[in-house]
Amino acid sequence: MAKKTYEKPTIIKVESSHSKAGVPMPKQKIRKKIGGVAIDEMVERFGSPLFIFDEKAIREKYRSAYEAFSSRYPNVQFGWSYKTNYLKAVCAVFHQEGAIAEVVSEFEYEKARELGIEGKDIIYNGPYKPYDSLVTAAKEGAKIHIDTFDEINDLEKVADELGFEIPVAIRLNMDTGIYPQWSRFGFNIESGQAMDAVKRIKAGGKLRLTGLHAHIGTFMLDANAYKVETTKMVRLMNEVEEKVGFTIEYIDVGGGFASKNHLRGIYQPPEVVVPTIDDYAEAITSALYENIRGNSYPKLYLETGRHLIDEAGYLVTSVVASKTLPDSRRSYIVDAGVNLLYTYFWYKFNIELTREVSGISEPAMINGPLCMNIDVIDESILLPRLRRGDKLVISPVGAYNVTQWMQFIRYRPRVLMVTEEGNVELIREREELSDIEKREILPDKLKLK
Amino acid sequence: MIIAVSGVNDTDNPGPGIGVARSLKEADSSIKTVGLSYDVQDPGNFMDFVIDKSYVLTYPSQGWEPIFNRLLYIKESYGLDAVIPTLDAELPSYIKYQDDLKEAGIKTFLPNLEQFELRSKENLGDISEALKISYPKTKKVFNIDQLKKAVNEIGFPCVVKGNYYKAYKVKSLPEAVYYFTEISNEWGFPILVQEIVNGDELNVIGAGDGKGNLLGLVAIKKMTTTHLGKIWNGVTIRHEKLLKVAEDFVAEYKWRGPFELECIVDEDNIILIEINPRFPAWVYFATGVGVNLPKRVLDVMFDKNSDMSGDYESGKMMVRYTYELITDIEKLSELATKGESNG
Amino acid sequence: MRIENLAVNKNGFAFDPTSGETFTLNETAKEIIEDLARGVEEKEIAKKLSEEYDVTQEEAMNDVLDFKEKLKLYGLLS
Ligand SMILES: Cc1ncc(COP(=O)(O)O)c(C=O)c1O
Repeated sequence: MAKKTYEKPTIIKVESSHSKAGVPMPKQKIRKKIGGVAIDEMVERFGSPLFIFDEKAIREKYRSAYEAFSSRYPNVQFGWSYKTNYLKAVCAVFHQEGAIAEVVSEFEYEKARELGIEGKDIIYNGPYKPYDSLVTAAKEGAKIHIDTFDEINDLEKVADELGFEIPVAIRLNMDTGIYPQWSRFGFNIESGQAMDAVKRIKAGGKLRLTGLHAHIGTFMLDANAYKVETTKMVRLMNEVEEKVGFTIEYIDVGGGFASKNHLRGIYQPPEVVVPTIDDYAEAITSALYENIRGNSYPKLYLETGRHLIDEAGYLVTSVVASKTLPDSRRSYIVDAGVNLLYTYFWYKFNIELTREVSGISEPAMINGPLCMNIDVIDESILLPRLRRGDKLVISPVGAYNVTQWMQFIRYRPRVLMVTEEGNVELIREREELSDIEKREILPDKLKLK
Repeated sequence: MIIAVSGVNDTDNPGPGIGVARSLKEADSSIKTVGLSYDVQDPGNFMDFVIDKSYVLTYPSQGWEPIFNRLLYIKESYGLDAVIPTLDAELPSYIKYQDDLKEAGIKTFLPNLEQFELRSKENLGDISEALKISYPKTKKVFNIDQLKKAVNEIGFPCVVKGNYYKAYKVKSLPEAVYYFTEISNEWGFPILVQEIVNGDELNVIGAGDGKGNLLGLVAIKKMTTTHLGKIWNGVTIRHEKLLKVAEDFVAEYKWRGPFELECIVDEDNIILIEINPRFPAWVYFATGVGVNLPKRVLDVMFDKNSDMSGDYESGKMMVRYTYELITDIEKLSELATKGESNG
Repeated sequence: MRIENLAVNKNGFAFDPTSGETFTLNETAKEIIEDLARGVEEKEIAKKLSEEYDVTQEEAMNDVLDFKEKLKLYGLLS
């Protein structure tokens, strides 16, 4: 006789702090596939944990963002923000779609070049650009966005060294009604510092100002902040052209559009609080049309990161153990921890199962494998009793995790991409001891064997 | 007709749901009411003389989809013609997705997103100007430094409040910091620091048809309140200027659906403190004096003619009291194990 | 030990008349409680579960121990 399906024993006290524990609600969220491919099969083939990216989702997101802007303002160009996710395969998808590269260090610059991106298609941002990297960037015709007066000096030296005038842009900061104001970067508009920088560049005679750049923050829930930003930038452009005589060819409004992630500390779900790409596009392009004088329309650059990649990334992790905590909550120990999920500091992730698990749900906590008390992926979630080996699918995790993850205690896992055609590609191999030991040097006198 | 209402937490900090359901049943005893509950222990789940059947829902913070699916399930298994959400936390979702509900054959009568944003305290200054009334001195703050500056400028006592929810009167900086942290942890930024204005707090309940017409208004004064500021005893008043402000508000913004205006009134000086884009918990008070707003809203939803007269008498009192209901634990058992009551 | 007093109804709702606490529980939990109340050994319960359901005796044993822990935390077992 076939045996009955096993449900682990569950008992939950009816109390108001867990008013819905035990109630057969909420229905457990299930995700069996990513990009059409069964998650269980991918784990079987490649092991657990796994980061998985969905190529089709990336392309669709990019296309709808591009469409939202180009339909309103045709002269637009996206620059893929490398820091958000600089896995080669991910960058290559964006470049194939038509995005140029936006980098903030010589490392990222080298990465873009290595991938085959020409200097002229690289936006070089950041508060510290080593001198040698400025020389290379200037030689290769990159778009250099100046952050400080010191950098103006450096670039003038580079111009002398190379013997030609270097086209540059300046990074701006301003009050857009958003807190915190990212005032650490670039030159402030309201104080007059930005105009001083423009005049300083003019007076030097070695650089030519061709662009204005700003990036007002990340995960911006108020589309109107971009209207304020764009308005201030265009007005500055008008002033610069009129008073200083530079011709501004482009305005780069930076990144910062939110993804559909649930920010901690915000009660409402993302679908309610996150503006649509059309809201952002409308705010920016309407400010352009309202403030541009004459009939030269500068190119609009965007450095959108998070919004384009976050929702296309998943982390699949498996339950390795479970226990009852002294406060009667259940703790699940899973094989991926917060060292892989830097964004857990800000987000309460969407957590799904790959199979329907029957039974009543109980309050649980999801802990990673690190021997650290802070290794908590979710502090309070209602889950039916899971068995060892059950998988949790954590999302959205496509932005900032595979760049800010840490090799701490454990090896970093494999990363897969499910292609548009439904093939599974390994895009980053699992780390092993030699990856980490390669850079270490043990002095002779400390050698033990 | 089957109508769902939320906010069936008829506790000492009551939601408006029971008042709405009672108003509907008194107007038309053939109406069946469904209670949408977030806690199995909600008193409304046990009050079968007002709520015919209860369902437990996931919290709005978990997203719209589970709530939407739950409503579809209710429609399929029990029937559902319209839903009247009454809680602040769920309104953003219902307003954003009112068209989905309509498509599914579930009616609502809610403001649009733009109207809904009016309640943001950041917008109250402009509204007050448009309605030619005053607005207290208010500072937007995002951090403790700004908070310190703002309370220094405004002086103690003052009010620390969230942009949408929560407001606390504070008498010292530590108190201000405490509530600043509490509100921002739960609701985010900005936090507002507002001067305390003198006068009587008067409230108006009303509803608009979305075309600029009123469906009725009642103004009241809270005579006694709980320690949370919830009305316990109250009295109807006829402050003509205040009623005019509410009328202007509906006409100016073509308000759609129920609302409550909280004002501080010092003789003829009216100060707008808050707009609640929903029925207040004391909605039955208006019904009791002849202005059954839930029924009127329902009539508009179903394109029925309804009495829209604004007449009511001043000097009618509402006295809230407590009462005990004795029932079998079987009812809790149904809710806790099935997520719905028998009905 | 209060599990003998626990009145479990058909829905999987349990009421402890001595403490006033209420609980929800599933079928497996109900079976284990009944066995524990009758004084059946842990090992024997695990064996029964593994014969009845698609679970190994090893996993079932862990679950019984974990479940007893939970009952203790709820004050249903001493
Ligand atoms: C200069 C610059 N551009 C673009 C971005 C990408 O931002 P986001 O991922 O929020 O779109 C960042 C992120 O910090 C940035 O610093």
